[in-house]
Amino acid sequence: MTEDIPTTEGETVSSEDRADGSTLAVGAVATTLVATILVFLFRPALALPMLLAFVFVTAVGWVTYQAEVARLLTLVATVLTVLTVAFITFFLFASALPAFLEHGTGLLLIPEQGGEARWFFWLETVLPSDSTYWNPLSGAYSLIPMIWATVVVTVIAGAVAGPLGLFGALFIAEVASDRLREIIKPGVEILAGIPSIVYGFIGFQVLNGFIQTNFLDDGASFLIAGIVVGVMALPTVVSVGEDALSSVPQSMGDGSVAMGATEWQTMKSISIPAAFSGISAAVILGLGRAIGETMAVAAIMASGTQFADPLFDVFDANATLTSLIATQYGSASESTVDVLFVAGVMLFVIVAGMSIVSQYIERRMQRKLKGQQ
Amino acid sequence: MSDAYATTDRLVSADSNSYDRGLDAAIALSVIGFTLGLVTLVNLVPPGASGSSLTTALGTLLAVVVGAVGITGLASYANVVPVTSQRVRGIGLGLVVSVVALTVLAALLPVTMATLLGAVLLVEALAITAAGVTSRLELVDTEPNMSAGLLSGVAFGAIGLAMGAAVGGALAGFGSLPWLIGAAVAGVSLFLLAILPREDLGSTLPTALVVGALGLTIVTGTIGVGWQWNPQTLSGGFTGGAVIPVFLLVGTLLSAWSAAKCRAGFGARGREYGAFLVINLNAFLMVAVMATIVVFVTLKGVGYAVRGLSVGALTALVFLTPALLAAVQFARTPAGTNDWNDGARQLFRVLPLAAVGALAATFVSVLVTGSPLRYSYAYTVQVNRQGQALDTALAVTPDTTVGPLLLLAPAVLLAVTFFRSFGSLRNVGTQSERTGSIRQAVPTAALVLVVLIGFFLILGPAPFGLPLGETLGFAAVVAGAVAAGGLAVTPLVGVLTSDGPTLADSAQREAPLFTLGVFGGLGLLLAALLLQPVAGINPRVGPVNLVPVVAFGAAVASLALATLTTVAKRSSEETITRRLLTEETRLGLVGAAGFTALVGLHVAATGVSFTVLGVAVSNEGSFSWPMVMQAYIPLGAEPGGIMPAIVGTVWLVVGATLFAVPLGVGAAVFLTEYAEQGRFTAVVEIATNALWSTPSIVFGLFGAAFLIPRLGGDESLLAGMLVLGFMLLPLVLITSRESIKAVPDEYRDASAALGVTQWETIKSVVLPAAMPGVITGVILGVGRIAGETAPLILVLGSTLNATESVDVIDGFRFVSGPPFIANDALLTASASLPTQVWAVIAAGVSGSPQMGWATAFILLMVVLTFYAVGITARTYFRRKLNYE
Repeated sequence: MTEDIPTTEGETVSSEDRADGSTLAVGAVATTLVATILVFLFRPALALPMLLAFVFVTAVGWVTYQAEVARLLTLVATVLTVLTVAFITFFLFASALPAFLEHGTGLLLIPEQGGEARWFFWLETVLPSDSTYWNPLSGAYSLIPMIWATVVVTVIAGAVAGPLGLFGALFIAEVASDRLREIIKPGVEILAGIPSIVYGFIGFQVLNGFIQTNFLDDGASFLIAGIVVGVMALPTVVSVGEDALSSVPQSMGDGSVAMGATEWQTMKSISIPAAFSGISAAVILGLGRAIGETMAVAAIMASGTQFADPLFDVFDANATLTSLIATQYGSASESTVDVLFVAGVMLFVIVAGMSIVSQYIERRMQRKLKGQQ
Repeated sequence: MSDAYATTDRLVSADSNSYDRGLDAAIALSVIGFTLGLVTLVNLVPPGASGSSLTTALGTLLAVVVGAVGITGLASYANVVPVTSQRVRGIGLGLVVSVVALTVLAALLPVTMATLLGAVLLVEALAITAAGVTSRLELVDTEPNMSAGLLSGVAFGAIGLAMGAAVGGALAGFGSLPWLIGAAVAGVSLFLLAILPREDLGSTLPTALVVGALGLTIVTGTIGVGWQWNPQTLSGGFTGGAVIPVFLLVGTLLSAWSAAKCRAGFGARGREYGAFLVINLNAFLMVAVMATIVVFVTLKGVGYAVRGLSVGALTALVFLTPALLAAVQFARTPAGTNDWNDGARQLFRVLPLAAVGALAATFVSVLVTGSPLRYSYAYTVQVNRQGQALDTALAVTPDTTVGPLLLLAPAVLLAVTFFRSFGSLRNVGTQSERTGSIRQAVPTAALVLVVLIGFFLILGPAPFGLPLGETLGFAAVVAGAVAAGGLAVTPLVGVLTSDGPTLADSAQREAPLFTLGVFGGLGLLLAALLLQPVAGINPRVGPVNLVPVVAFGAAVASLALATLTTVAKRSSEETITRRLLTEETRLGLVGAAGFTALVGLHVAATGVSFTVLGVAVSNEGSFSWPMVMQAYIPLGAEPGGIMPAIVGTVWLVVGATLFAVPLGVGAAVFLTEYAEQGRFTAVVEIATNALWSTPSIVFGLFGAAFLIPRLGGDESLLAGMLVLGFMLLPLVLITSRESIKAVPDEYRDASAALGVTQWETIKSVVLPAAMPGVITGVILGVGRIAGETAPLILVLGSTLNATESVDVIDGFRFVSGPPFIANDALLTASASLPTQVWAVIAAGVSGSPQMGWATAFILLMVVLTFYAVGITARTYFRRKLNYE
C-alpha cells in the first residue's frame, strides 16, 4: 500500500523536471474547481458555464500532466465526499435548531400544550385521557409517543432478528458445507435486497388482514411491524455476525478440536465467546437498521400520535419517528417541518452512534484476535 | 481423506437398533409437525380443517415427501448420490412413515387438523419419555453427562414460568397471588427437573412435560379452533387459529432438539446433534421465508404484470438466438467417461440445448403454420373500488415483423461474443499492394464521415440556408455505403477467385482481406448510417433504402464467408490451417451479426422500415407488453401500464450512478493509494460507514429542505437523483476501498521495481485488478437504491397512475442566458416504481391492489436482477482469482 511507495505531496508535484507546467496545470484545475463551487453556492445560474470551464481545463491538464491531475482529482473527490457528509450533518442540525429552541425539552421529555408544560403526562398513559401530543393546529408538539413507538418496534424486531440472526451466522460460518454456504450466503444477501416497500406492501395487503382474523386486532399493530422489520434487519445481523465468527483464528478452533471437543463445544466455548463482541456489534447494527426503517412501518401502521394504551400493548399502532416524517412532511407547516427535523436529527444521531459503537467494538475485537494469533 | 473422517463415517453408518429407529422417526415427526405448524399459521390449511379437505392437504404433503425421499433413495440405491449415514436414512424413512400415518388417521377418524397436531405433540412426548427412561435404565448404550446443564435448566425454567403464568392466569385471574405462586412453582420445578437428574432424564422429562401439556391443551379442546381470549387491556386478542400453530412450532422444536440428543446418545455428541438440528431448522426457516416472499409476490403480481403480452414468432426467435448459442456452448464442454452416471451428466449438459431447441422449433412451427399460440386467462382490474375480471391472453403470433431494438440487442451481443473469441489474423496470408493502400484509406474515409456528422450535428442539415445535407451528405452516404458494401464482399470474391490449390489454401492466402472486409465494412457503414439522421436524408435504390440493403447484403456475404471457411476446414488436415480457418469463421460470424445489427440500427435511427423476403424490420415491432410499454390510461377499458414509473426509475438510477461512482471511486483511490493511513483515513472510514447506515428518510429530509429550494422550488427528478446519489456514495466508497485494498502489495512492488510511476501503477495495475470488486459493489448498491422509497416520497413528487413519462433526452435545450443549457424534464416531478407502490398504499380503498402487486413484482424483479448479476459477477471473479 502507500507505505511501500513513499510519496508526499511536494515530491509528487516536483519530482519531474516539468514541475512548473504541472504546478500550473494543477493550480488551474484547482482554481476553476473552487470557482465552480463558489459560483454554485452564490450564483447558481452561472454554475454550468463554470463547470464546463473546469472540465475543459481538466481535460487539457489530463493530456499534459496526467499523474498530477489524477492525483488532484482523487483528492478533490475525497474532499467533496467529506464535505457532503459534513454538510448533510451540519444542515440537519441547523434546521432542527429553531424547533429545539422553541419547544425546548418539551419535544423529547415533557410535552407542552398551549405553552404550558404537561408535567403529569405520564399519568395520562395510565389514566384515560383525550389530550393530544401532536396537533400542529393548536401547536402541540411532542415526539415522546413516536419515540416510544420506535422503541417498541425495535424491541420486537430485535427479539426476532437477534436469535435468528445468531443461529443463521453460526450456520453459515461453522455448520454449512462449502457448497451450501455458496447458496445460503447469496440468499441472505438477496433477502437484504428486497425493497422495504415490498415488505410494506405485503404487510399492508396481507399481514394486517391476517392479524385481524387471528389476533382479533382492529388493524395495524406494532407486532406485525416489529416482526417485518425484524426480518428486514435479519440479513444485517447474519452477515456481520458471520464476519465476526469467521474472523476468529482457525488455530483457536483447531486447538479445541485437538483436545477432543466436539464441533458444537468448540462453537459454544471458543468461537462464540471470542467473537462475542463482534456478534453484539452485529446486533447493534441490525437494531440501527430497524430504527431507521421507514417504508415498511409507514405502510403497515396507519399513523397515530398517541401512546399505546397500556404501554406494552403490542396490538396498538402508532407512528414511529421515521414514519412520522414520511407521512407528515407533505402537508406540514413550517413549524411542523422544524419539529420533523428534530426527529430526523434524533434518528441520525442514534443510528450513526450505533454504527460508530459497533465499528469500535469490531475493531477492538479484530485487534484482540490479531494479538492472539 | 484422513483416517479421522473414515472413523466418523463408520460411526455414523453403524447399524441402528430399534431405539435409534424410533428416535429417527420422532425427529422426522417433529419436522413434519413444524412444517404443518407453519402451514396452519399462514392459514394455507386452517386449523379447523377436517374430512376431505384435511385428507387432501395431507395427501399433497405425502406426495411431496414420498417424491423427495423416493428420488433421493433411488439416487442412493443407484449409487449416484450415495447416502451412507444411517441417521439420514432413518429420518427419511421416518418422514414417509409419519406422513402416511397422519394421512391414514385423517382419512379414517373424524378429526380436525388441530386435534391431529395435538396428537402429534402427545406422541412426541411419549416417545421422548420412553427414550429417556430406556437410557436411564441402561437398556441402550448411551453416554449421558451427570446433568443436562445450567443453560437448558434456565431455559426450561423460563418456559415453565411462562406456562405457569398462563395457566394460573386463566384459572385464577392475572395479578392475583395464586397466579404469581403458580408461575413460580412451575418455573422452579421445571428448572430443578432439568438440572438435578442425570442428563438422559434431565433433558427428556421436562421436554416431555412441556410438549405433553401443550398437546393435551389442544387435544382436549381447552384451546380449540374456535377458542378466543380477548383481554380488555389489549387492543387485540388471541384465537385458537393463531395459538395452536404457535404451540406446535414451540413444541416440535423442543421435541426435535430432545429427540436428536437422545438419538446421538446424549453427552457431548448428543448436544452437538441437538444444537445442529436446531441451527439447520433455523437456516431452513430463513431460506423458506425468503423464498416465500419472492414466490408470493410473483404469484400475486405476475398475472397482472404480463397481461396482454404478445410477441411475434420471428422476434422470439431472434431473441432466442443468444440463448441457443449459450446452450450450444454449454453442451460442448467435455463430459467424462462412458460410465453410465457420466452419461447422466452428459444428459444434463445437453438438456438446456434440447429445451431451447424445442422452444425455437415451436416458434418456427408458429411461423410455418400461421396459427398463433395463446394462453388465455382472466385478471382483475379495479373499477369504482370493485374488482372486475377482464380476459387477456399471452400470445406468440405468426408475425414476421421485428422491432429494431429487439434485433439490435441480440445481434450486438452475438457480435461481441464472437469478437471476444476471435484471436488475431495478423501476418497471415499474402498482402497485396492494393489491399495495403485500401487499408490505409478506410480510416481516412471513416474520419471524413465522422467530421461530417459533427458538422451537421452542430449546424443542422441546412447550414446558412444551403441544402448541404441533401447534396454533400447524400453523396457521402451513398459513397460510404457503396464502399462498405464493396469491402464486405471483397473477402468472398477474393477467396473464390484466388488460384490456390484447395479452398483452404485460398482462404488462408486471402486472410488480410477478411479483417479488412469485416472491420472496414462495419466501420464505414456505421459512419454512413449515423450520417443519415443528422443530415436528414435517406438515400433510396428503387423501392428500398440503400444502407439497409448494403447491410443486409454484407451480412449475407459474411455468413457465406463463414460457411465457406467451415466447409474448407472440414477438408483440411493441417492443425495450423484448421486453427486459422476457425478464426476466419469467427470473423465471418462477427460480420454477419454486426451487419445485422446495423440493419436494426438503421431502422431505429431513421424510423423507416425495411422489408426483405417477407420479413419486416419496423419501428412498429411485433412485441407488445402493455404493463411495461404503456402509460396509465385513465377511464379506459384496459388500465394501461406503468411505463412512466419504469422510465423514472431508470433515470434515477442513471443519475445517482453518474453522481456517486466517480466521486466514490476517486475518493477510494486517494484514501487507499495516496493518503497516509492514519487518523484521517480512519475518521473518513467511520464517517462513511455511519453515513451508510443513516436512515434513508433522513436523506429525504435533507433533499426536501436543502436541494428542492435550490433546484427550482418544486419536487423534481434531479433532486431524487442527487439524494439517491448521496445514499449510493458511501457504499461505492466502502466497496471500492475494500477491493483496492485487496490488491496484493506485490503487484505494486513489482510495478515500482520496473520503474513505473505511482500513477501509472495505479492506472494499469491497481485499478484493473480492483475493477471486478468495484463493479460488483456498484451493481449491488444500485440494486439497493433502485428499491429505495422513503427519500423519494419527499423529493420526487410522484403521483399515482402517471400518464406521461419524463423525457430527459429531449428535454435538453440551449438557452441564451446562463447557465446556457436547461433541462425542464429534470426539474419536473416524475414517477418511479417504489413510489408507485407507495401511492397505491396511500390511496387506500381507491388504490388498485392488483396493480400494486404487479408493480411490486416488477420492482422486485428489477432489484433482484441487479443483485443476481452482482452476486454472479462476484462469484465468477472470485473463482477466477482463486483458480488462476
